[in-house]
Parts: sequence; C-alpha cells; structure tokens
Amino acid sequence: MDFLNPAFWTFVAVIAGIYAIMALGLYVQFSLAGLPNFGHVAFMATAAYVMAILVVRYHVPLAVASIGAIVAAVIVGLLLAGPALRLRADYLAIATIAGGEIVRYLAMNLPELTGGPIGSMGLAGPGNIAMYNQDWLALLNRLTAVLSEASGRAVSRDFTMALLVWTLAGLLMLVFRRMERSPWGRVMKAVREDETAAAAAGKNVFSFKLQALILGAIVGAISGLLLAWQIGIFSPEDFQPTLTFYAYLILILGGLNRLWAIPVGAVLFSVLFSGTRLLNFFPLSLIDSGNRAFLRLFLVGFLLVLFMALRPQGLLGNRKELLLEK
Amino acid sequence: MLLEIRNLGKSFGGVAAVDGASFGVAEGSITALIGPNGAGKTTVFNLVSGFIRPDRGTVRFEGRDIAGARGDAVARAGLVRAFQAPRVLTRMSVLENVMLGAKDQPGERFGMSLLAPARVARRERDVQARAHEMLALIRLDHLADDYAGTLSGGQRKLLELGRALMSEPRMILLDEPMAGIAPVLGQQLLQHVQDLRARHTTVCVIEHDMDVVMSISDRVIVMDEGRVIAEGTPDEVQRDERVIEAYLGRRAPMEAK
Amino acid sequence: MTEQLLQLAINGLIVGTILALTGVGASLVFGIQRVANFAHGEYLTFGAYIGLIVNVYYKADLVTATIGAMAATALLALAIHFMVLKPLRSRGLVAMSLITVGLGLMLRDVVFMVAGPQIRQYAIDQTRVYDLGLVRIAPGQAVAVGVAAVVVPAVAYLLARTPIGKSMRAVADNRDLAAISGIDVDRIGTYVWILAGALAGLGGVMFAMIQGTFDPNLGYQILFLIFTSVVLGGIGNAYGALVAGVVLGMVMELSTWSGLAGGLDARMKPVLAFAALIALLLWRPQGLFGKARVL
Repeated sequence: MDFLNPAFWTFVAVIAGIYAIMALGLYVQFSLAGLPNFGHVAFMATAAYVMAILVVRYHVPLAVASIGAIVAAVIVGLLLAGPALRLRADYLAIATIAGGEIVRYLAMNLPELTGGPIGSMGLAGPGNIAMYNQDWLALLNRLTAVLSEASGRAVSRDFTMALLVWTLAGLLMLVFRRMERSPWGRVMKAVREDETAAAAAGKNVFSFKLQALILGAIVGAISGLLLAWQIGIFSPEDFQPTLTFYAYLILILGGLNRLWAIPVGAVLFSVLFSGTRLLNFFPLSLIDSGNRAFLRLFLVGFLLVLFMALRPQGLLGNRKELLLEK
Repeated sequence: MLLEIRNLGKSFGGVAAVDGASFGVAEGSITALIGPNGAGKTTVFNLVSGFIRPDRGTVRFEGRDIAGARGDAVARAGLVRAFQAPRVLTRMSVLENVMLGAKDQPGERFGMSLLAPARVARRERDVQARAHEMLALIRLDHLADDYAGTLSGGQRKLLELGRALMSEPRMILLDEPMAGIAPVLGQQLLQHVQDLRARHTTVCVIEHDMDVVMSISDRVIVMDEGRVIAEGTPDEVQRDERVIEAYLGRRAPMEAK
Repeated sequence: MTEQLLQLAINGLIVGTILALTGVGASLVFGIQRVANFAHGEYLTFGAYIGLIVNVYYKADLVTATIGAMAATALLALAIHFMVLKPLRSRGLVAMSLITVGLGLMLRDVVFMVAGPQIRQYAIDQTRVYDLGLVRIAPGQAVAVGVAAVVVPAVAYLLARTPIGKSMRAVADNRDLAAISGIDVDRIGTYVWILAGALAGLGGVMFAMIQGTFDPNLGYQILFLIFTSVVLGGIGNAYGALVAGVVLGMVMELSTWSGLAGGLDARMKPVLAFAALIALLLWRPQGLFGKARVL
C-alpha cells in the first residue's frame, strides 16, 4: 500500500483505536491500581473466542454473545488473577503471564471447542469456514450508508469503524478521568503507592484491586471483540503475550500515569508499527518483508528497554513526580 | 477497658516475639507501652491493629473480639494506628493524604462519582474543608498542595497523625512518635497527643523517651521478652524492681545472671 | 503399558536433567538478582544457534559445538548483566520485569532476523534410533545423556566443594547475610552469571538435540518450564533446582501415560507446567525445599 493512500491510514486509525482501548484496560489495572498484569491479552482472547463460539455454534445474536463474552472474560480474570492479587509485584507478573498462556494453549489445543490452531475459521467444523462477523458488518454498512448520506461523500466502512472505535475510546477516557479524580481514584492511587497505608486508613485494599481487575477485564474484553470484528477471522496466534506488551509500551510512551497520553501513544505505536511496512527506502529496503515483522518486534523490545531505562516518564511525562520515591 | 488483650502470642520462625501478653487500656487515658528493644511492643501493635495474625490470644475492642481481623477492618472499627516510620503517600499531595483518612466517603464506592455526582461532590467539599481544618491544626496547611514526599520526617509523622484523626477514631496507637524528629515538631506532636485526651480519644503510645512517658501518661505498661512484666502509674513503674532489672539487664549484659 | 511407562520415564529423566541443569543457573541468578529474568529462555535459544553454527557451518563435532555455545552464551549473559541489568537494578521490580521482557523480545527477534524462522537441526542422523530392548533412544537423546553424565557431577562438585561454589550458594540463598559474612557479592554475582550463561547455552544445545528440530521459539517455549523448576526447587536453592528440574521433567512426561485414565494429551503438557507455576506462587512459593519466607 502506498504511503499516501488514505485507505491505509484509515486502517491504521482503526487499529490505533483498538489498541488505545486495549491500553485503557491495562491502564486501570497497572497505572491506577499498580497491578502489573502481564496476561492482559487473555481478556481479549477469551472475549473473542466466546463471542465467536456463541455466534457460530449456538446462533446467539451478536449483542447477547458480546455480553456473554465480556462476562466470560471477567470470570477468567477472577479465576486466574484474582488469587494472585496479593502476590508481590513481579510474582503477580509471572502468574498472570502464565495464566494468559494457559488460555492461549487451551485455545490452540481444544479444536472441538475453539477450532484449534486454525482459529475461528474452524469453529463450524471441518469443511466449513465459520464467520461470526455478518451482523457486525451489516451494522457497519448501515452506519456507513447513513454517514455517507449525511456528509454527501462516499464514506468507507473502515472510516465508520474508526469513528466508532475512537468515539468509544473517547467515552471511556472521559469516564476514567472522572473516576480517577474522584475519591475512588484517590483510594486507588493510595493502594498503588502504599497498600499498608491505605489499609491503615481503613480502605479495603483487596476489594479495590479486584475492582481494578474486573474493570480492566471488561475494557480488555471490549478491545478483543473490536479486534475480532475488525480482522474478521482470528487464531490463537493473534493473542500472543506480545500484545500485552504492546499495551505496556503504549502506556510507557505516555509516561504510565497520564490518561490522555494513551491515544497519543496508541497512534504513535500504530504508525511505527504499520509504517515500517511501507518504508521502502534504504536501509529498510535491505530487509525483506518477512524479516520486517521481526524487526518490528525487535523495536518493540528495544523501546521497552529504552524507555524503562532512560525515560520512564515517557515522551510526555513529568520528571518531578518520578524523583519522589514511593 | 476500651482495649483488652489476653494471652496474645506470635512466633516467627520458632522465635516467640510475643509470648502471652495481657493488658488493658482504659477509655480516655494515655497509656504508654515501654520496654527494652525486642520486647515485642511493635509486634503487639501489629497484632492488635490487624496487620499480623496472632497465633493465639484474644483482642477485645469495645467489647468485641477483633483478633485476626484485617487491618482495614480494625481501622474502620475505630482503632487506628500510626507507624514507627511514617507511611505517607509520597506522590500524592499533603491535602490528598489527609482527605484519604476520612470515613464515609460515598465517592469511594465504585461508580458513585458517575451515578450520584452531586452527593459525592457535596461530601467531597465537606471532607476537603475538614482536611484543611486538620492541616491548620497540625500546622501543615501552608504545604497542603505540595507532594507529601517533600516533607521532613517530623512533618510526615504529623501528617500521618492528621490522616488518622480524620476518621474520628475511638483509639489511636502511636509507635514511637518522638523518634528521630526535630524537638520543635516533637513538642507540637506531644501537645497534639495530650489534646487527644480532651477529645475523648484514647491513646496507647510506644515510647523510649522516659521524660515524655512520665510527663504525659496516665498509666504505663512494661513489656520484656514478649510478656507484660509490670503495669501501673508512671511513678509505680519507675520504682518497680522487675522493670529496673529488665532495663539494667539490657544495659549490662556482663552482669552475672 | 509398562513399556510406554518406561519409555516415558526415560524421556522424562532426560528432559528433566536438562531442565535441572538450566534451572540451577536460573535459580542462582534469580536468587541473587531477586527479579525474574524473562529473557532467560532466549539465552537458551542463543546457545542452540551458536551450537548450530559451529556444528553445521563450521562442521565441527558436537562437543566443540556445545563448548562454543556455552562460552558464547556466558559472554552474552555477562554483557547483558553489565550493560543493562546491573546499572538498572534500582528501577524496581516491575520496571526490571518489563526490561527483561524487552530484552527477550530483542534477542529472540535478532535470532529470527539473522538465522531466519526455518526449522533447523544439528548434524545428527534424526532417523536412527537406538533400541535398548525395553526403551528406545534417539541419537540426540544419547548425546544429551552423555553430556549430562559429565556436567551434572561437575556442577554438583563445583557448588558443593569449591569456595566459589559455596559462595554462590550463600549469596543466592541470602544475599544480605552473605554480604555481612564478608563475601564480595558483586564479584560472586559476576561468576554466577558466567555459570548461568554457560548452563543456559548448554541447555539450549541439549534441548535442540533431544527435540531433533528447533526454531527461534525454542527458548520461549522452555522459559516457563524453567520458571516452574526454579520456583519448585525454591528460588535461590541450587540443589533444589536440580531435583525440581528432574521432578518436573518426569511429571510432565509421565502425565501422558495411558495408565492414568488415558493420560494427559501430550499437547497439554505445557499447561501442566503453567498451572503448577501459578499454584506454587499462590500456595507454596518456597517450593519443595525452600524456607517459608515472605515473598
């Protein structure tokens, strides 16, 4: 695709929006409550799979299947991460990444349930290609038609999707901003900074951590659904742990504790990520497209190390806050 | 007795930190808990306030057994504590630190700030006003918007006290409040502790500074090696042979036992 | 059934021994660093590929390849320790975890870029099988057994009898206590990284050999097995890791035995390790042999 092709950038905008919502789900857990959940991708995977299974196998209407998917993600979160909430930070990280991998392995190795390594295509049994997307696409098409009429121009379906996703992201950010600045947000911050002090002040630390986990699971599940609808088919490969670390990088780019920096980080990340696909000039042209995928991942790792090491306040953060020890 | 502990026991890795301690704290009093280092005083505070689970024994507060209850539950029941090294939230403002201590904040419940914004805002204004009053009382009001991390040790102790008092507790446990702070702030803290009695807040304080103990406490409880070895008025305790021995024994380990 | 049981036991023992050796290095390192190194698996991958280069491209024998892999990986581990991990130690637990994740991503994808995603194998005849009557062993497994027979006693001796080994165990077990007893913790830390790196390189080569074929995902797939061995044996407990590695290897293989109500599906073996890891962290973080310390 050409650099200047607007369709490409619309596509990037959609992915950026979905990643922004994914990062928002992580924000609640990590930046607000201080829970380093390294298995965040499991919420996305669970939601996508449950939705697809309900739609394809049991012919459940999309809206109901989506609610079911979100509930399932919350349950999985409570089962796998709930007991781990009392662990020390890095052990929580290990437990959650292990939990996330359990979900992915189960998805890969239970083909009767999940379609196995083939993914969502296999949900309707061998010989059929399963699609869960029809209702969603129909909805998008209707919206696109309305928008085209209203604006007098030909609007693409991706554009509608981008609009939808970013509206949702904006709404979520407004809600989170409100919650952050409320007494609830104050307690969360205290839980993150010093659990013992928060408990001494009479706050039920475990309950608050649980709330953060559940909220993070819900938002993560939503991002998983949106991703599944956007790409149309998915497999366990689409829910590798690396996705969680994309979310961390997005948070880190913005400085880990700035809500409004998330969309900036998400856009930057998506541009970097998709952009390397098309930068066909030297020296990148030396690397063939297969290898560019690995280069992208290398860059993700590199940026993670770089920012955590040299600029933990991110691109937009406040150095002053960092100088204060916990 | 507002607080009564009976036969409290806790061991760590086979070593008994608290070994059958029993005492009571009368309502409205200032009771000092003293004893040589390692006597188990801070452990008793941790056990009573719910930050460590006891192996055995009972803790009755206002007649109810709270042994084994979690730290936040005990605080909500009206028994709050301050730590030896003050635990303030360094990356939050002084004002926020104090506001955190207030009870009955509907805004702390999930979603309330979205569902009942007016009610939450009203209570928040209340809490903020009370917090400013508290800060004025402990003379930190001019630092209200600074990060708590910029405060000195003594100021942090005052801040922690302020946070604890926001919930209008029945009783407060203070762990070595005078340790390591400037004399001027120490005097101020002492004054606040004595004022607590006037506010009908019971105080139990661990202290090493004997002058402080003698001057402000109504009653003194002496611990050594995990047990209570004496209790009484400051004068009585000062003259108690067992107490003298416990302290002397620490200072002169070469004495024949 | 019994034949299958015996075969699984042998397989489990072989895998377990490699896990044990890699686990010793990882456990010592985790004990000293006090932070989990998510890049540790990639050290194995690196070792496997260096071994590949020496064996297949320079046409050297397997022993040389193994030694080359061990040396190279030890150097890599040292370099990363001095350039990244040591200077950044003060950043905090989560920051370090994220940094090691980033390092792992970098390492893995450098291997992908340089060596390519194709499946590789060493210059061993994969089709031959040694039939020992009741059980069968592949050549790769045989080599691994031979290597283990030499390395395990050597490592055990190093740890038990030499001053360096004893210091390593002391520091990994209780860093502060060791420092007070006059041990130069920094210097010992360096030695531990050399040992851990070498054992990781060895582990990588050996895993590659017993699997027959491998690709750059080798280390990542084993990472959690290593974590589980380390936690099972007690973090920082070198002997514990030795035992735990073998136990884990055996349990994983034997779980697929059909005598156990049909046995676990072989593809689910990793799930067993994941679940064990989570369970351990939650309910017995000191593992089988560690002291009950607050995590």
